[in-house]
Parts: sequence; C-alpha cells; structure tokens
Amino acid sequence: MMKKIFASAILMLASLTAHAEYKQVNLTVFGMDCAPCAHAIHVSMKGIQGVDTVDVDLNTGLVTIKLTSGNTATMRQFNQAVEKNGFTHKDAVVIARGKLTGTASAPFFEVAGTAERFALVPAAAGIDVSGLLGKTVMIAGVLPQATKGKVPDTMRYNTITEAQ
Amino acid sequence: MRFITVLACAFALPGSAIAADHGPVFGYATPVNSQRELSFDTGVFGRNGSGGTQFSTGSGFGYGLTPHLTINALLPATFGGGSLPESRMISTGEWYAGASWRFQHSVTSVGKRIESTASLGLVVPGPQPDSGVLGGLHRAPGVAGTFATGLASRSQYVWIGGGYTRFAEASSDRRPDTISWSGVYGYRPAALRRGYDKWDYRGFAEFTGEHTGNVVQGGTILPNSSTTTLWLGPSVLAIFKNIAISGGVQGPVFRDESSSIYGRERVRFAINFSYLKYSAHTSGH
Repeated sequence: MMKKIFASAILMLASLTAHAEYKQVNLTVFGMDCAPCAHAIHVSMKGIQGVDTVDVDLNTGLVTIKLTSGNTATMRQFNQAVEKNGFTHKDAVVIARGKLTGTASAPFFEVAGTAERFALVPAAAGIDVSGLLGKTVMIAGVLPQATKGKVPDTMRYNTITEAQ
Repeated sequence: MRFITVLACAFALPGSAIAADHGPVFGYATPVNSQRELSFDTGVFGRNGSGGTQFSTGSGFGYGLTPHLTINALLPATFGGGSLPESRMISTGEWYAGASWRFQHSVTSVGKRIESTASLGLVVPGPQPDSGVLGGLHRAPGVAGTFATGLASRSQYVWIGGGYTRFAEASSDRRPDTISWSGVYGYRPAALRRGYDKWDYRGFAEFTGEHTGNVVQGGTILPNSSTTTLWLGPSVLAIFKNIAISGGVQGPVFRDESSSIYGRERVRFAINFSYLKYSAHTSGH
C-alpha cells in the first residue's frame, strides 16, 4: 500500500504545475465500521474549500483527498473533519508544495497558502536539501498521528524536489 | 414532584428503543450523531396478543451537538387497541426529549470501536391506548434513562444495554416503572464488506427483556399487574450512504404476565426508516 502511494506521489510530483499547496492527502482513519461513517467523512471533507475529490476505503480506513490548485486547505481542517464525526485520524501521507526554510541540518517546510509549518526529518539517510533552502519545493512525506485538535510538528519526507 | 428519581443509563435513542440508524431495531446500542448531523427516524412498531393488536409510529429527530453528545426527540402516534403491558422497548405513544452522551469511546483499529453511551430524557404521555388497563389510567410524565456499551466493527457488532423508566402519579393513578435490557449480536458477511457507495447490509440477533412494575389505580396497586417478558428475534439493517431501512420481528421466550389483565402477547415487529443529514461544515484555518 505505502509503495503504491509513494509511486503515485512521485508520478504526481513529475506532473505538477505551479500553484497548489496540499496536492493530495492520504489520511488513515480508525473507527469507521459502516457506510454512513464513510459517507459522513466524504461529506465533511468535500465541505473543505479546495477539496476536489474524496475517496474512502472502509476496509483499509484510507481516505484519499485530492485538492484543486490554489487551495488553502489545512491539515487542521482535515483532522477536524475526522474528529467531528467521532473517529480518529492516524498517519497522513501528503504531497504538498511550499517553501523550504531553516538550515540544512534543521530544515522546515512551510506549506504555501497556509500557516502550517513542519520540521523535516528524512525518511532515509543521504538526502541533501542544502541546495533547496529558500526555494519553493514539492515534497512527499508522512505526517505522523497528532493528538485530537492538533497538527503534528514534524514531517518524515521521502522525496523533495524544486517546484517548477 | 416526588416522582423522578431514576436513571440508569442508556443508549443511542430515546427512552424507548425506536431504531437507531446505525444499530438494531429493538435493542439498545451506542451510536450517536456526528457533530451537526441531523437524523430523522420514523417507524411502525406492532405488538400482537390475545388482547388485541397495537400499532404505534414514532418519528425521532436527533442533532449532534458535539461528536459525542446528541439531543433527540420522539413524536409518537398510536393506533389500534389491545390490552398489552407497558413497554419501553417498543414505542407505546410517548413524547420524548432527551440527550445521549457517548461517554466512553475507544478506537482500536481501522474499523473497530468500543464505546458506551448513556441517555436521559423526559417522557410525556402521548396518544393513549383505547382499551386495556393502561387505556383507562390517568397518566403523568416520567423520566427515562438508558445505557449501552459494546463493540462495532466491519464484521461484528455486540451491544448490551439497559434502561429504567419511572412515571409520576396522576389523580392517584401511576403507570408501572419499567426496567428493560437487551443484548444484540450483529454480523456483516465478508462479501458485504464493500465500498460505501453500495448498499451496506448487516443482520442482528436481538434479545430483549422487560420487567414492568405494578399498576397503581385509584391509589391502589392492581393485583398481578407486574409483568416480566423476554423476547428474541432477528432483524436486518440496510444502509445506503445516508438512508437506512431496518426491520425485525421478535417472539417471546419467557412471559410472566397476567393473561386476565393483559392477554398473551405473541409477537413484536418493527420497520424503521432513517435519514441522516451530515454537516459539511468545518471551521476555518
């Protein structure tokens, strides 16, 4: 499952145009047992401005959200959409566009169009981001589960490239 | 106001067990509305016995104030006669307004939840049966409390619950206090664990029981008016996105009731329709 998600993430990175902040969020949700649960999540996610499509897989708990260009949707809103329906959000695999700040040893990713900012942690050793500091980048990574009402502080990134 | 003490705890729906949109049609269960979700339930409930047949309809409204707190109301109507015992598992024509609080909620895996819900509400007399012991009583409001706990998952559901209703006295008459309980097992076959854009079916085995206390009439306890009954039967719930239809039937497995007062109740059945209106609202950044 994760391999497929990252494969599609890499494909998306290659095809992305400018604009676009969160491009795709694959959020795992626990506690949905039936069709109305999934429908409730679908309605809530679609109510967030900038959400294009939502797909809910009840058997894996995976909620796949694709967003339109120029959106200002935030992870806080996605998490709220889960919490208001009485469910629990787990890890989220995200593809997003934003600015790389900080230092080479302590980089931060600021999601364009939002106030959300994450400390970056590489998923594998050997990724040098020093050349991307201060630039607009596309990133694919994992946001770990946050407590209710919170957004995680860190992102474990798999790929990072300069945005076109 | 010397009445009203009560409460035990309870479950998703009002004092009587009008079908919950996510749950069984007779027994107690734990689901509550999402935040800002508006739900509408309407159903027909029937009881047949040697004393006649009684139908009632109940239309219930629920609104989720928070993800775990729902307020609800039930608007009743009854038709048909029948000398039958008091019941809180089957709607018998009461107005109800109350709240359900899911006070324990543990999400353990992708599709699994363990949760407990209590509810408390005010019961106000609605249409009165046109015959039988209860048809001739002066009636007063009461308080109903229920409690349910259990597990919901993609494959199986298990809920147990109980409730207690106590009525006030009116003109030296008093309807019987009612203790009710239920145990429900539900199963969704593997072939039906599919996408949410398809009909979602599950079946339940519902075991319910009720004990009603003595009827007080003119300040005097009516002899042999207390009853205890146990019921068992299947039900089916079908849901498509935000529409749910459920139906079930139960037969008695134990009856301790005066046949001279109430006759012999033989069967209970229910059909329910639910509409769920979910909110798309989320706060801003």
